[in-house]
Amino acid sequence: MSEIEIEVGKRHIREINQEIQEACKSGKKIRVVNTLSRHNLGVGLPDGADITFEGSVGYYCGGLNTGSHVTIERNCGWAVGEGMAKGHITVGGYAGMSCGAAMIGGTIHVKGDAGPRCGVAMKGGNIVVEGKIGYQSGFMAHSGKIIALGGAGASCADALWKGEVWVAGEIESLGVDVNVIEPTAEEVAEVDAILDPLGLKDTSRDWRKMVSGERLWYFESRDASAWLMI
Amino acid sequence: MCGIAGRILGAPGKVGRDLVDLMEAQEHRGADSTGFAIYGIPRESGYVLRGMGFNKTQMDRDIENLKSTLTDHGGDFLSDPKIVSDHNRHYCFRIEMSDPVDLAAWVRDADTLTSTIEIQSCGRSLEIIKDMGGALDVADKHGVRDMIGTHGLGHARLATESSVLPNASHPFWARPFSDVAIVHNGQITDYFTWRDRLTRAGYQFLTENDSELIAVWVSDQMKQGLTMEQALKKSITSIDGVFTYMIATPDGIGFAKDRFAMKPLVVIDQNGELAAATEEQAVRRVVSEETDVINHDGPSLMGIWGVGNRSMAA
Repeated sequence: MSEIEIEVGKRHIREINQEIQEACKSGKKIRVVNTLSRHNLGVGLPDGADITFEGSVGYYCGGLNTGSHVTIERNCGWAVGEGMAKGHITVGGYAGMSCGAAMIGGTIHVKGDAGPRCGVAMKGGNIVVEGKIGYQSGFMAHSGKIIALGGAGASCADALWKGEVWVAGEIESLGVDVNVIEPTAEEVAEVDAILDPLGLKDTSRDWRKMVSGERLWYFESRDASAWLMI
Repeated sequence: MCGIAGRILGAPGKVGRDLVDLMEAQEHRGADSTGFAIYGIPRESGYVLRGMGFNKTQMDRDIENLKSTLTDHGGDFLSDPKIVSDHNRHYCFRIEMSDPVDLAAWVRDADTLTSTIEIQSCGRSLEIIKDMGGALDVADKHGVRDMIGTHGLGHARLATESSVLPNASHPFWARPFSDVAIVHNGQITDYFTWRDRLTRAGYQFLTENDSELIAVWVSDQMKQGLTMEQALKKSITSIDGVFTYMIATPDGIGFAKDRFAMKPLVVIDQNGELAAATEEQAVRRVVSEETDVINHDGPSLMGIWGVGNRSMAA
């Protein structure tokens, strides 16, 4: 099957995205070249497309994805896969701030580190980071899993809701209202089932699972010590 | 949201052109005004004065008044004022001048004229050019692309806490310290507290822009004996708000970021040259090939990049 190549350069992003949407209908693989770290590439991709961005991309790449398989060969800027519902995004290098923000489904796999607030306000899906997740990652994550294999920055899992943050490696510090709990064998197996298809399963990992302390939920706590945590 | 940029060349060259490219790429981050701080070849003595007047009908009189404040302090104009003026109510000027006996004392006297005429920068090598509009408009109007130098800063402003006025644009000069300029992306939440303290210490503020405060704050710390590295580090815990700022001197460019990791800074540092900007797509305008990019995304970060035999000091 031949591949469709789309050039970015200095062209208008709207024009490029329209071309990408048309190419998705063909069922062919798509390769987007000369990306120059431009913003908003591949936003709103449909189900079933297979698209590769050669080089680095800017903000919001793969945002609102509804089922495409997206590969970013190098780095991405802020909010890769923001609000995605379904599909898979692989980032070959570093993922900037707010990776997977408010996503509701699908998987984001980052091969390098992820910046601050990885998985902020996510409502479903999984984010797997082979490196370290940045400052305040998991902030107010409502659901889904953030899995970091290379440690976490400061204020980890701050104000978490029903999401889970799993970290192997060093955690610089915990955020407010977070409990670190010992995962059950079944829970570890669930995480391994996410990592296995990515070739990252390793049963020797020493996991720390973070969940909400639930003391700040609904902002109606009359327990003064809970508020003093902030 | 604003866009900031810094550029250091390996040898004197078209730093103005590069900064215009960096700022054109970030025009969407703030189209209220654009500004540049260009560090040219330093002169042994004398300064280049950049400024703005607000009433064209009395331009000659206002510039003459400015000149007389300088002669009162032992200095003089060495060139006729080069005026740039268009349909806007303000005009801009560039004047070469000799050394006053005490620069700070002269600036204090010259600042009594600020209702009609205002100094934007005074430097052996620094020239600040700022005006209303986008990068290309400002660059074309003031010939920024042709400006030669070693390094500089750029700024695209989206006004949030103070008025959209030509003199409230960035970069800000660290009045009255020659050759110090700053660009800032963010909001300083304890602005009035610090402004009161610095005003009581004798500093003048010509705008209500919080970025003007950072320029003076850092310079004041250095005047009190801190190195730039120490001053930048101290600013992270002493100044409240969300910010990433870059401060330039003839020796290089420093940056500092707040404790909350809200404002990005992306850097390409290779082959003895440096490009820094709020967005990666901007630095790719001057370094188009895929290369290693440093994302200063984390909280409480600072660093200094030197000019010439460059090294990352912190």
